[in-house]
Order: sequence, then C-alpha cells, then structure tokens
Amino acid sequence: MARFLGRRLIYLLPVLVAVTLLTFLIASLLPGDLAVTILGDQATPEKVAALRAQMGLDLPIWERYLHWLWGVMQGDFGRSFRTGETVLAAVGDRLPVSLELMVIAEGLGLLIAIPLAILCAVKSGSALDRFVTGLAFGKLSLPPYLVAILLIYLFAVQLNLLPATGWVPFNEDPLTNIRSFVLPGLTLAFAEWPVLMRVLRSDMIATLQEDYIAMAKAKGLRPARILFVHALKPSSLTLVTVTGINIGRLIGGTLIIETIFALPGIGRLLVGAIYARDFIILQGVVLFVAVGFVIVNFIVDLLYAVLDPRIRHGRA
Amino acid sequence: MTRFRLWALGCALIATAFAAGPAFAQKQGGTLTVGLELDIPGFDPLKVGVYDTSQNIAAALLLETLVKLDDNGKAAPSLAVSWSHSDDFKTWTFKLRPDVKFHDGTPFNAAAVKWNFDRQKDPKNNCRCAFYISNTLSIDAPDDLTVVYHLKDPAVNLPVLLTRPDQNSTIHSPSAIQAKGDDYNRNPVGTGPFVLKSWTAGDRMVLERNPNYWDKGKPYLDRVVLRPLPDSQSRFASLKSGDADLVWADEFEADNIQRAKKDPSLQVLSYAGSGAAVNAFNTKVAPLDDVRVRQALVMALDRKKYSQALTNGLSRPARNPYGDGSWVQCKDDGALPEDPKKAAELIKEYGKPVSFKMLFTATPRGRTNGQILQQFWKNIGVNMEIEQVDQATIPARAFQRKFDVTPWRIVDFPDPDVQMFANFYSKSPLNLANFSDPDLDKALENARVTPDEAKRAEFYCEASRIINKNATWFWTFQNTYYAMARAKVKGVPKMYGGVIDVSHAWLE
Amino acid sequence: MVALEADVESAVAAPAARRRRVGPLFIAAIAWIALIASAAIFAGVLPLPSPTEIDMLGKRAPPSAEHWLGNDALGRDVLSRLIFGARFSLTVGLLAPVIGIVVGGFLGMMAGYFRGRLETFIVGGMDVLLAFPPLVLALAVTAYLGQSLANLTFVLGVLGIPAFTRVARAVTLSLSEREFVTAARALGATHSRILLRELLPNVMLPLLAFFLLGVAVTIVVEGALSFLGLGVPPPAPSWGSMIGEGRESLDLAPQLAFLPAGFMFATVLAFNIVGDTLRALTDPRAGKL
Repeated sequence: MARFLGRRLIYLLPVLVAVTLLTFLIASLLPGDLAVTILGDQATPEKVAALRAQMGLDLPIWERYLHWLWGVMQGDFGRSFRTGETVLAAVGDRLPVSLELMVIAEGLGLLIAIPLAILCAVKSGSALDRFVTGLAFGKLSLPPYLVAILLIYLFAVQLNLLPATGWVPFNEDPLTNIRSFVLPGLTLAFAEWPVLMRVLRSDMIATLQEDYIAMAKAKGLRPARILFVHALKPSSLTLVTVTGINIGRLIGGTLIIETIFALPGIGRLLVGAIYARDFIILQGVVLFVAVGFVIVNFIVDLLYAVLDPRIRHGRA
Repeated sequence: MTRFRLWALGCALIATAFAAGPAFAQKQGGTLTVGLELDIPGFDPLKVGVYDTSQNIAAALLLETLVKLDDNGKAAPSLAVSWSHSDDFKTWTFKLRPDVKFHDGTPFNAAAVKWNFDRQKDPKNNCRCAFYISNTLSIDAPDDLTVVYHLKDPAVNLPVLLTRPDQNSTIHSPSAIQAKGDDYNRNPVGTGPFVLKSWTAGDRMVLERNPNYWDKGKPYLDRVVLRPLPDSQSRFASLKSGDADLVWADEFEADNIQRAKKDPSLQVLSYAGSGAAVNAFNTKVAPLDDVRVRQALVMALDRKKYSQALTNGLSRPARNPYGDGSWVQCKDDGALPEDPKKAAELIKEYGKPVSFKMLFTATPRGRTNGQILQQFWKNIGVNMEIEQVDQATIPARAFQRKFDVTPWRIVDFPDPDVQMFANFYSKSPLNLANFSDPDLDKALENARVTPDEAKRAEFYCEASRIINKNATWFWTFQNTYYAMARAKVKGVPKMYGGVIDVSHAWLE
Repeated sequence: MVALEADVESAVAAPAARRRRVGPLFIAAIAWIALIASAAIFAGVLPLPSPTEIDMLGKRAPPSAEHWLGNDALGRDVLSRLIFGARFSLTVGLLAPVIGIVVGGFLGMMAGYFRGRLETFIVGGMDVLLAFPPLVLALAVTAYLGQSLANLTFVLGVLGIPAFTRVARAVTLSLSEREFVTAARALGATHSRILLRELLPNVMLPLLAFFLLGVAVTIVVEGALSFLGLGVPPPAPSWGSMIGEGRESLDLAPQLAFLPAGFMFATVLAFNIVGDTLRALTDPRAGKL
C-alpha cells in the first residue's frame, strides 16, 4: 500500500513542477510589456527600464521562475500590482464561493443521478430505461451555458421565483445565500448527472447479475434491502471515482457559470486577471487550480486503492 | 421701527426655513445598497493611477475634496471654507475648515493637504496621477489652516477644478498611508461622512456612518453597501428585487431605463452633462493622415439613426466637445454636416482603398458601437476592423499611440480647460491625434488666461471650429449620466462628472 | 463540460447490453448534419440578406417577407446569421479536431506501441495539459494574441490533443497484443511498417468515431468563448455570440437566444449520435464480448 502511494507521489511531483513551469512560461511569454502597462502614460524608456530592473523582469526566465518557485515554497505567492492584494488573500476570499458551488452542483447531480440509475438498473432494457438513458445522452449535447439561459428564462424572467444574480455571504444571510446558488448549482448539476447516472447504472446492472444477489433474493430478503445494502455499495466504486474526478475538473470549470450568475468565485478572479494582464494573480490562481486538480486525482487514486484490494496489491 | 424690523426678520427667517430644504424632512437611519459597474481595485493614487466612476462614487463617501459644487454648478465650501487668488491667477490661497479629523483620529490640516500633493507629484513615485496635477508646481502650508497653490499657468477657475472626488483632489490621511504602506490601497482613510467597515474583494464594501463627521447631523444613512455588478441585467434585476437600492446605469441600458420609468416603485435619475463620447484619429498613420479621409468618416455618420440603434433614441447627438450642458455655447462650432454622399465622394477622390482598425472595449456596449460604425463606413466604401481590448488597455494603447482610431471621453467637468488642453494642445502628452496647429494652440492658451467668461467661450468655439474642420477627433453623443433607484431614495444631487454622490442621501 | 475523458471512462465500464444501433435516430442525425452543412457551404449563393447589414431602425423586428425570422437586437437578419453562423461553427468544429486527431493519434500510438519511458513521458505530458483549466488557456491565448479564426482553431485543437492521445493509446495497447502484430514482428517487419501498415488502419476507425465526438465538443467550446465575446471577431456571426447577444433580450425577444441555441443543440446532438454509434460499431473491445 505504502509502496503504491509512494509510486503515485513520485509520479505526481514532476507533474506539479511541469504545471507551474508551464503557467509561468505562458504568463511571461505572452505579448504585452508588464512594466509599460503599469507605468501607463509615464512610460518613458528610462522609467520602463528602471521598473523592469526593479521587478526583476530583465533576468533570464529560468532565474525568474526559480525566484517565484522559491517564494511559493515559502508561502509567498506575490501581490497583485493592481490592487496590492496578496494572491493568498485574493484566492482565500473567493475559493469558498467556488467550493460551495461545486459541492452543491455535484450534490444535486448525485441527487438526480442515483435514483435514476437505480431505477434504470432495476428496469434495465425497459422503455423507461431507454428513455432516461436517451435523455442522459441528449443532455450531454446541452452545454451549461445553454442550460443557464433556459433556467434563467424560466425561473427568473417568466416565473420570477429565483434570483438571476445577487449573492450574499453565508454568515450574513444563509437563506439568500443558498437561494442564490440554486440556479447556478442546478445548471452545473444538469451537466453532471448524465455521466454519473450512466456509470452507476452500468455498474449496478453488472452487480445485479451476480450470484450473491440471486442468493439474497432466494433467502427472501426484502428487495429494498437487497438493492441498497447489497447492490448499491459495491457498485459505487466507479461512481466515487468519477465524482472525484468531476469535482477536480469543476475547480477550474465554474468560470462561465460564475460569470453568468455574477458569483464572486475563482473563475471570475481568473477572467479578471487575464483581462487586466495581472500576471501575478493569474499565475497564483492557475497554480492553485492545477494543484487542486492534481491533489483531488491523488485522493481519488487513494480511495480507489482502499476500496479495491486488487489495486492495492499491484495488479492495477 | 424696531418692532417692524423684528417682524421682518421673523418673516425672513421663516421664509428661509421653508426655502432652505425640501418640503419633507430628511429621515435618519437605514442602509443603502449601491450597485456599481466595476469592481474597485483600490484607492491609493500611486497604485491605481486614475479613479474610474466606481472609485469616484466610493471616494465621495469616504474621502473629501477642498471644494464641492452646489446645485448651480458653482464652487461651494467643503474642506476649504474660503479662497482667494492673486491678480495673475497663478497663486491661490485656501483657508481650511478647522476641527476636522480623519477616520483614524489624526487631524486634517494644511500639512496633510501638502503631504498628499507632494507624494503624488514626486517623480520617484512614478504616479500615473501626476499628469493631472502638472499645472500645479507646488503647495505651501504656511500655517495649519492655510494652503497656497502655486501654478505654472494661470487658472481662472481653480476651485471648481478641485471638486471631483478623484485621485488628485481627495485628501487621504498621511499617517494611515505611512502606517499601512502597501495595504493602504484596500484600507482608505479620509475625512468623509462614511468609514470603511469591511471589504470583501469582488463582492462588497460596507461603509458605516462616521460619528465624528464635521457636518453635525449628517450623514443621514447608517450604512452604505457598495457592490460591483458588472452585468447590466443583473444590476437591474437586483434593483427590481430590492437587493440594491440604487444602481449605476448608462444610456446603453435603454430598455431597462424605459422599464424603470414606467415602474412606480422605481425612479430614474439623469443629468445632462457637458462633454461627450469622443474618438481620436491617429493623424500620423495612413490612411488617416489625409484630411479628406477623416472628414469623410465623420460625415458618414447619421447620429439620429445611430442613437436609435444603440439606445432606442436616448443618446443626444454631439457636434462639439462642449455640448448643451456646458457654459460654452457656440453659434458656429464648425461641425461637419452629416452627408454620406459627400463622404463617399471624398473617399473616391482620395483614390486608394481605405482600411484601418479601431479599438473597442470587449463589452457588449463596445461591440455594438463597433458594428454600427462599421456599417456606416461600409456604406461609403471604407473597411474598418474591430479590435476588442480590455477597458484598462485603452489608456495604455492611447498613451503609446498604438492605435488607428481610439475611443475616449470628455467627461462632464465644470470647466473645459483641463481636458481641452490635455487632448488638443500640441505639446500635451495626451494629444492623442498627434495633431499640431498653431492657431489651435493660441486659442487654448488665450482661453486659459482670460477671466471674462464670454470671451473664453469665444476662444473655445474657435478651437472647436479648427478641430471640426480638420476632423482630428469626432464626437458621437453628449454625456447623459443615469442612475436608477428605488422610489424611497432621496437626496442624490446632480451627477456632476457622472459621479453618483449618495453621501447626503436618505431613505423615505 | 469537456466530458470526453468521462466518456472514455464509461466506455471502459461498457455495459453488457448493446446500446446504440443504426436506427431512425442515426438517420435523422445524418440528415440534419447534411442539411446544415450544405446550407453552410452554399450560404453565399442562397437568397439571403447580408448577415452583417444593420437596419438601424429595425431593432428586434418581427418576422416579415424580407426577414423570415425577424431581426436581432442590432437589426440584422436572424435566419441569415443562423446560416452563416453554421458556416463558422462548423469550420472551427471540423478543423480544430484535425489537429487533435493528427497530433494526439500520433502521440497515442507511440505511447501504446513503444511503452516504457516514452509512454510515461507522453502520458505525463497529457496529464499536465489536462491539469489546466481549458477555458482559461483559450481565454488567455485569444485575449493576448488576438481573436481570429486561426488562433481560435489552434487553441481548441491543442486542447483536444489529450483526449485523442488517450483513445489512440488505449486502442494501440489492446491491438498490440493481437496475433497479427506478433506475426508481423516474427516476420521481421520494422516498427514503422507495423505502425503504418498493421496498427494505423485499425486505430483509424475508433479515432474517427471519436473525431465526430470531438467536433461536437469543439462546437460547444467555441460557443462558450463566443458567448463571452471572445470567439469570432465581430461582426461575423457565430451561434455562441448570437446566444450571448440574445441573452440581453431574453424578456423582450427570447427567440433571439433560443433559435441559435436550438440549432447548436441539434447539431451537437447529431454529431454525438453519429460519433457514438460509430464508436460502438468499431470498438475493438466489443470483440471480447
């Protein structure tokens, strides 16, 4: 077990370094002189040269990268040159919003997917099964921003039930806070449930054909008990894996939804940093997102290993 | 005799009491939530350079200027109580208000005013704001309550130039800046009626009533919450639902403005300001270096149709840089006629194909403007390519002259001198059109030093004629500033400079 | 949003029952693609008003003899913009995955055939690319390098490479164990001969099926970028930018958003159906059942 984890870690470390390096390169090599942007109308050649020297922009890329990496390892991710905020503060303020959205979205997605999957697995091959599976397939062709427009039109414009925008922090007004996450959460949940449902359904169909299920039926156990205790648990392996991967993917994927629904999360911070050429914030946030993604993947691998003894013992 | 005098005095007092304020009493208390267009990066002039409208709105609450504008657009006391000038208008002396404190308890005095100025002016600080105080050579503080401005060129109207709550005119607490350093940007300390309580980035600023404000009894509100809501639909939705009590708006949101006008629970505030939305041609770059091309481009516009397509007709066409809201009114401003046929002829006369790029903000407003202009110019055989950039990039590109045509704005301001000089004087770093004309320079110089308002207006009209004839810049629509609010919001003055000042507002 | 990896995952956990058959849905999908593609190709010849001509006094005009589906918020003909939008979306949608299939297919085959350190390196590289939020990369490139058809196609193409690599590698891995490869090796064939003659033809089919899924995803992502105003430079129409612009008129004229949304949905669904059917038919693992 330890050897497996160790091997995964050794593999992940170079990936992390590569991600930070790539981020740094992209931010540094793109056109647009940072010093000129900061100085604006004061950008005389001498001042630009002086500012570049002061900010270390005239050092070779390798040196700048190592400087930055050294700072990162000490916890100094830099400060936005526009607002003076530290990257940690900027991310710290906005991460909870994105996390809340991700958790609500994935949770709602599971809420929709699990009952549907169980229903379809039990009634496998029936018209209902084909309908729901078809619906899931069709839903894959409807991207989140289209769903968002539909939901906004239905619930905000026509029915006036839910707010299209307007977010308050949780500690200030929990009810309005949850309300403001309903539409964006539903939008993302609609994008998540097809995959979750298909995965659970196929696993359950396979499980339900196992011998021990037939034996449980023969023993006279109640169908509900068979379903939820004996069939659902072992079928959840892939579902857990996919849920984990999805959450990791969502870390950077809430961008459009945050923009449409005006939620102050990481996605909008990223977009703002790109527009304002705020390289420091951009580097820091992409680093967080990528590291988060890698870590979540690692945890998912861990869970997988814990749940599946075959993996643990090297037979991956 | 004495009894009559007493009686007359009594009547006069009663009359002033009725005339002084509105018929209803101002209510104390309440929270006002304001929806701004943009998020605020900070308040330190050294860090942010120039304040945009959202920053101005917040600054009007937290910080103060020496002078403010009264309801007639004239200078009135704020942090300064009186002022006088030398004969040549190059030296101005301001007497400051006593017993005023910053939010951190330190005293507001002449030394603080001087300290703020010196910091912005110091070349070592590289402040992008330094350009806007280039006419002020230095400030003296001979005693605690006296500041003396020494100007490079005469300014007949200096007090009104200090009324805008912007990066140069607002006074920050020197001790706070020195104590907080880099962190001051997000923790401004001023003398204003509200104090910053909390600030969640990208979400909201919460300002609370300043209990030690020098104007006793004010402000009326207990609290103001400022929220950046960049999306116009979400701003209006927040207003309708009551999440926001007042939102910034502009004529581009014509549909929402018309809806608000019909809604009895809402009100629309508007101010027809001077100035206009303008565009500058880079006259050093072909094909814009030929005056016929430029004139053709300007004559190809039909501003009435433009206004209809852009804002359902709310936009007011502009013919010169001053507009109806300015005290500069011209009998002959030299505006070119709107004549697409003539324009097409000029292009044919030019002979070569005309093709160039134009900068626009990467917003729906920018894109719509771009496509409409594209259409007008396509109709006369000109090809314009839209180049979308971030709002913050436009000043940078403009200063470096990296453009063919760029949008700009001449903001509503009580005196045209600052912006006219900045944009049209040949030696100004903001002479975006790269255009030089000795007659134009002379007209601007004369306008600067003449105290007589009528004579000044004549010089400004002459300037307008030269600019219009050479078509170095062109104006589309005059500035009309809007705000939409719930009906219960009262006490918002005229939106001078486009700034929504809620510092003395109250809720019914 | 980029559900390609999950699709691969669920394909691995393939159900015992056969899912898709060449049925009426497949025919309908092919028909729609053919219809939309020919409209896009012949857009210039069709009797349509210009998609960019602004009728400044005709904002949001209702359908008329001149404008069959009415005008949008800037007074431009909706039907014409839908068809020219199809041209743009399909062009990007078809060209970008070509980059993916060529580069990704190549890398995947190398990884699956040669194994060892090359495989670890390639798979690691793909993991690095996947760790990036894809929309951020696309945003950064278009924001800095400018909006153009070429830049957009390039970015979307590069973003699709990891998915194609995975598919190519998985298929190559399973094929490399088969008898015909062992036989070829025994006969002394060189690596390149094996790769080109034996493996490539068999890898092509699943890759092509995946290509169609890639087209669907690309249309969606291009739509997202255009929706944010960062895809096609104005005034060129694209379904995504039409949806984004239509969002401003949701209560006044909802069809301005829902018409292009409907077209996009139908087209993406069609490509998904065709691609999924072909994948089910050409998946080499199907033989194991």
